[in-house]
Amino acid sequence: MCDALQGLLSILRRLKHSPDQEVRLLLLGLDNAGKTTLLKQLASEDVSHITPTQGFNIKSMQSQGFKLNVWDIGGQRKIRPYWRNYFENTDVLIYVIDSSDRKRFEETGQELAELMEEEKLSMVPLLIFANKQDLMTAAPASELAEGLNLHTIRDRVWQIQACSAITAEGVQDGMTWVCKNIAVRKK
Amino acid sequence: MGCWFSKKSKRKSPEKEPTPKTVEDKANSSNANNIDLCSNTTEDPPKQYSWDKREKVDPKDFMLTGLKDATVGRLPGKLNGQQFVIQDCDNCKIFVLDHSATITIDDCTNCCIVMGPVKGSVFFRDCKDIKCVVACQQFRTRDCQKMEVFLCCATQPIIEASTGMKFGCFQYYYPELAFHFKDAGLSIFNNNWSNVHDFTPVSGETNWSLLPEDTVVLDHVPAPDLESEFKSVRISAEASRSIVPMTKGGRRKESDESCLFVFFSGDYTTANARKLIDEASGKGFVLIQTKEVSMRPEDVSRVFQNDAEGLLEWITNGPVTALELNGDGVVEACKSMASDMFSGTKVFVSDNRNTSSRDVDNFFNFADMQMGL
Repeated sequence: MCDALQGLLSILRRLKHSPDQEVRLLLLGLDNAGKTTLLKQLASEDVSHITPTQGFNIKSMQSQGFKLNVWDIGGQRKIRPYWRNYFENTDVLIYVIDSSDRKRFEETGQELAELMEEEKLSMVPLLIFANKQDLMTAAPASELAEGLNLHTIRDRVWQIQACSAITAEGVQDGMTWVCKNIAVRKK
Repeated sequence: MGCWFSKKSKRKSPEKEPTPKTVEDKANSSNANNIDLCSNTTEDPPKQYSWDKREKVDPKDFMLTGLKDATVGRLPGKLNGQQFVIQDCDNCKIFVLDHSATITIDDCTNCCIVMGPVKGSVFFRDCKDIKCVVACQQFRTRDCQKMEVFLCCATQPIIEASTGMKFGCFQYYYPELAFHFKDAGLSIFNNNWSNVHDFTPVSGETNWSLLPEDTVVLDHVPAPDLESEFKSVRISAEASRSIVPMTKGGRRKESDESCLFVFFSGDYTTANARKLIDEASGKGFVLIQTKEVSMRPEDVSRVFQNDAEGLLEWITNGPVTALELNGDGVVEACKSMASDMFSGTKVFVSDNRNTSSRDVDNFFNFADMQMGL
C-alpha cells in the first residue's frame, strides 16, 4: 500500500486539473542521509531492512492519467557525478541531510550549493529534510538552515523540514509543502 | 550561496528587533525568526515535534573524541539504543557493549573496536589500521585503509575509496549480547558478511578480501585487560559460543552436496536452529548461509514447488529460518536429524541430493530479492 504517495498523487491531481501530467520528485543527498528510508516511508513500506543504494530506486504510480515518479539516487562521493543524469524535468528537489552527522555538514553544504548552481535545476522548488531528528545529537533545522546559509537562496521557493524518516514524524509536513509549492509543467 | 559551516564564514549579526513588550510578544517574534530561517514561503509557525519536547542532552556523552592509548567504551545498559560517535582516537581499545542507533567512526588509527548491535548504519571514514567486531544493519566505509572486520551485517556491506579491507564472520559473545541483537532489531541469521560491494574498484587489484577461515578473533581484537572497567564482562570469541552462527559465506564450498533446512516460526525456532547447527557441525558438516525472512503464500509455491502443499498455513505465524548445510551425505544426515531431534516441529528438509541444490537456490534467491528494496 502506498498511502502517502497515493495521497500526494490525488492532491496533485486535484490541484492541477489538466490530465496527462507527470510529476517528478528527485531525492538527493550524501550517502547515509536516509533517502531510501524516506522513499520507503512515503510508500508506507517496511523501513527496518534497507540496503545502501548502489544505483537508484524509483517509486512510480499513476492515477487517471496523472503520473508521479519519485527518484532516489545513490549518494556516495564516487557516483555523485551521475546525479546530473536525473535533473531533467524535476518538479521538486528533495535534499536529505543526516542532521546527526556533524562531521559532514560542510560536505553536504557544498553539494547543495553546487546543485543550486545547476542550470537544469534552476527555479525548481527545494525541500530540505533535516533527517534523523530521532537521534540525540541531531542539529535542529534552524541551526542547519543558518549553517547552510539558506536565506541566500533567492531564485526558488525553499523550506527546511525537520523529520525522522524512520518514524515518519515530520515527513507528511514536508510533503504538504511540496504539494503547495510544486510548479507542474505541461508536456 | 556563501560558505557553509566553514570557519571562514561568519554570519552577519541579525538586525536589532524592537524590544518585546510582553512574554507573548517575545514568543511570537522568535517564531517569526524561525519562519524566516526555515522557509522563504509564507507558512504557519513551525510545529512542535517530539524532538523539540524531549530533554536536551550533552552530545559529549555520546562521543569518544581524541583519546590515545586508552581502553574505553560503554558497558551494557549504558548506551541503550542511542547514537554513538568515535573520532580522532589513536591506539585505543574501544568496547561499545550495548545496542545503539548508529555509529560513525572518523579519523581513527590503530584501534581495536568492538561494537554491540547497531540498529542502523556503522560508517568508518578516514580510518587506518583498525580491527573490529561489528554487528549492524548497514556497514559502510570511505577513505579507509587496512581494516580487519569481523562482521554481522543485515544488508550488503559497502566500501568506497578503501584498500586493504579484510572481512570475516562475526564471532563474539557476552551475556547480554543476544538481548542487544533483539533490541537493535537484528537477526543473528541475517549476515551478509562475505559479499562486499566496492564503489571504487581498481582494475587489476582487489580492495577487499576474506580473512583466513581459521583466524582467531582474540588475536586481532583482544579482550579488555583485567584492569579495565570491562573486567566484569564475561567475553568470549570462541566459534561455538558466538551469538551469530559461523557461516562460510562466499568461501569456496568443499562439497557439491548441499541441503536446505527450514524451520517454520515457533516458540523455539532459534534454539532449534542452533541445536541443528551444533549437531551438524559435530558430524563435520559446514554451515554456508542462513536467513530469517517472512514468506507470503505466493512465495511458498515458488520456493518449495512440489513440496509446497501443507506448508502454506505455517508461514503466517512469523518469519521462517533457513539454513544451507554442506558436505558429502548432508541430505541424508539432515533427514535423520529432522526425525530424531525435530519430530514435533514443522520443518522442511531437502528430499534428495539431486534436487537439493535447486531447493537452496530457490530459497536464497527468493530471500535476496525479498530483502532487497
